[in-house]
Amino acid sequence: MGIKKVRPKPQTLVEKIFFLDFIKGLKTTIKHLWKKVITVDFPYEVVTPPPRFRGIHGLRTVDGTEGPEFESWVKRLKIKPPEIGETRCIACKFCQAACPVPELFDIQAEKLDVPEGHPHYGLKVMTVFKMDLSKCTFCGLCTQACPTDCIIMTDIYDLSAYTRRNWVLDKDMLTQIANDFVARRGKEKFNEISQWREDQKLWPEYDKTREKLWDFNMPKLGPNYQDQTA
Amino acid sequence: MSWISVEKAKKLEERFGYPKVSESKGVVSVEVPKDKFIEFLKFLKEDKEYDFRMFIDLTIIDHGEKEDPRFQGVVILFSPSNQERIIVKTWALDETLPTLTTLWKGAKWAEREAWDMFGIKFEGHENLVRMLLWETYPYHPLRKDFPLEGIKDTYLPSLNETLRGDVLEGMFNYDRMHTAIPTMEDLEITQKKRMPVKTSQIVLNWGPLHPGTHGTIWFLFDLDGEYVRQCDIIIGQLHRGVEKIGENVNWQQFIPYTDRMDYIAAINENHAYVLAAEKLLGIEVPEKAKWIRTMMAELSRINSHLLWLGTYALDLGALTMFLYTFREREKIMDIIEGISGARFTISYFRIGGVFADLPYGALDAIEHLTKDLPKRIDDYETLLTRNRIWLSRNKDVCIITEEDVYDFGLTGAVARASGVPYDIRKIDKYDAYGEVEFDIPVGETGDSYDRYLVRMEEMRQSIRIIQQCVAKLRKMSKNDPYFFQTPDEKKLKVTIDGRGMKLPAGEVYASSDNPRGELGFYIYNKKDGLKAHRMRIRSGAFYNLQVFTKAIIGRPIADAITLLSTIDPVVGETDR
Repeated sequence: MGIKKVRPKPQTLVEKIFFLDFIKGLKTTIKHLWKKVITVDFPYEVVTPPPRFRGIHGLRTVDGTEGPEFESWVKRLKIKPPEIGETRCIACKFCQAACPVPELFDIQAEKLDVPEGHPHYGLKVMTVFKMDLSKCTFCGLCTQACPTDCIIMTDIYDLSAYTRRNWVLDKDMLTQIANDFVARRGKEKFNEISQWREDQKLWPEYDKTREKLWDFNMPKLGPNYQDQTA
Repeated sequence: MSWISVEKAKKLEERFGYPKVSESKGVVSVEVPKDKFIEFLKFLKEDKEYDFRMFIDLTIIDHGEKEDPRFQGVVILFSPSNQERIIVKTWALDETLPTLTTLWKGAKWAEREAWDMFGIKFEGHENLVRMLLWETYPYHPLRKDFPLEGIKDTYLPSLNETLRGDVLEGMFNYDRMHTAIPTMEDLEITQKKRMPVKTSQIVLNWGPLHPGTHGTIWFLFDLDGEYVRQCDIIIGQLHRGVEKIGENVNWQQFIPYTDRMDYIAAINENHAYVLAAEKLLGIEVPEKAKWIRTMMAELSRINSHLLWLGTYALDLGALTMFLYTFREREKIMDIIEGISGARFTISYFRIGGVFADLPYGALDAIEHLTKDLPKRIDDYETLLTRNRIWLSRNKDVCIITEEDVYDFGLTGAVARASGVPYDIRKIDKYDAYGEVEFDIPVGETGDSYDRYLVRMEEMRQSIRIIQQCVAKLRKMSKNDPYFFQTPDEKKLKVTIDGRGMKLPAGEVYASSDNPRGELGFYIYNKKDGLKAHRMRIRSGAFYNLQVFTKAIIGRPIADAITLLSTIDPVVGETDR
């Protein structure tokens, strides 16, 4: 069992008389004096969050990149088959079941009011989807539970508001956030079946602000494992 | 592994006749009748063969209102010479138990907490007051008949949003009735009960909102001139009932709550919890997940120690250190953010592995960091280690002896600085710690300077572990699983999102070496269930903070800052 004793030698007389300890310390601080400023000048400069960042939620819409099981989930829950541009949510409430604070969700589905014989007769559609983000822990369990990859987490982190009401996001707001995020950075995060890409980068390399907080000495990102390619 | 063998425990049964030995998932517990409890523990402590000198934890299990007897006391002990643990249980008949403070002084706070949370009286305890809640609070919240949301008996509409005088109703608004909150009178009563006898003229209150206390701790110093004669600590200002929540949410859903206990080293908190739950499930996580977890836990340890170093030096007047350490911390947090998606409350680990594989480039960034960090740590050491001001403020200040370590159940860097090589990573060899090489830094005298040196050396050792993890992970394949794959979904269901996950009946105690000491989770499960019956969190910071009240006696008040910084508690974990 490796045990290492720690205790340096006491100060020598030479060190004490000539203040060598102070001189050495000052050398270190003076060395740092000539370094470039590493503070990011927020909000004029911002660091782009990494693709995996767990920010405000969004609800994705149908855009032809659904997973292979999407159709069967829609059938199983008797949801009106969504068209392009409509929400992917099938009101299964898996996100609520996986949430550590389930009361932050308010999800409701309603039967369509169509006459018998209509192709959508007896089918449901999600009508209410509210999230109270003041209760959210941003753990990401809801995104992992979602069977249709509908609920996602975006890179938006500034959710300060003047009133508590503004933290309750409704269906339209969440859809808008997701659409905006997917258009902006969807390619970085998701593959063609809406799963996380295998080669998601640790952070976006086009972001030049990040260099500052790395002391202008950024690591170059390469493959992790021996059989991984760029 | 690190538990007393059943055969050895059976010998106790033969010797005394009354103990009942039971075993569950490798955890051995002995049940003794209440009147023989102290006698039995005294034997365990003083016998040379058993030598269970070290106090780890004391807690209560509430078996439910209908059961009789209802409450059961649980004591966890550790034997430093044999490197093994044991659980001793007894029934708390008439809601009382004999006090353990005669054997281990460290039981004092644990007993206060048990009284606070369960209403179990400890006969012979010197001053049985509440630990986390205020003195006039009428309930005992961890009892099973206390509802999760609390008893709402205080009218408090002022928290609600109003529009032209009308209180709005809606998802975003709170209930108008609120659980009880302490008034100024309540706090005054609490303070007086804590220190019933004053020995000198002045009682100095330090905290709860003083920046030097690193959180919300309220210290009471009974001062004779500048020297402390008596000290007590009032904690609980950050108490959120994490144990109660743990008994009311599903298994994976509890992970985000553990983040919020020791928020400085959230990964290590997740780690201890998933270890305990995996032990109860009886599963082995995939190799890749083990190495990733080890690597992340050590990154988190460096992160935590950097924050400790910065604020510690800041408190003692060396402002520069704070700026330097936070620069390095930023890089570590940047890597953690890229891997898990969050900087602070990470919840990256899951029961059964981790929730996602490492992103592209993660190992490169970590390797880059480990090459850079040793130089930076050298910089810190040239600034501090031999500096004469630093030496005079730290050397021989507030010595904690080896005896204190066993008595108070001290763990982590505090124990190691006092010369006890107590490190769960070596004892339990959880995850990949059995396969990596590292040394345990150990101090000699147990003063503040030793605690400083031990933590500095720990950072270097962590870098060593991370380098070995990176080298090992490089050799793995991208297709290796990072999450447990169940052979049979019907028999054993383990999901990343935690829906429908059941853990079997049994009791288990598993711990990990948190930067603040041993963080243990004692889970007691009556039957297979979606939720735990009892979730006890053995907080290292809680027990380490307790020794403050002893080590500060006879020292000038200025040493309080040094001592508190070198003990390095995080209030989120002490209060839970």
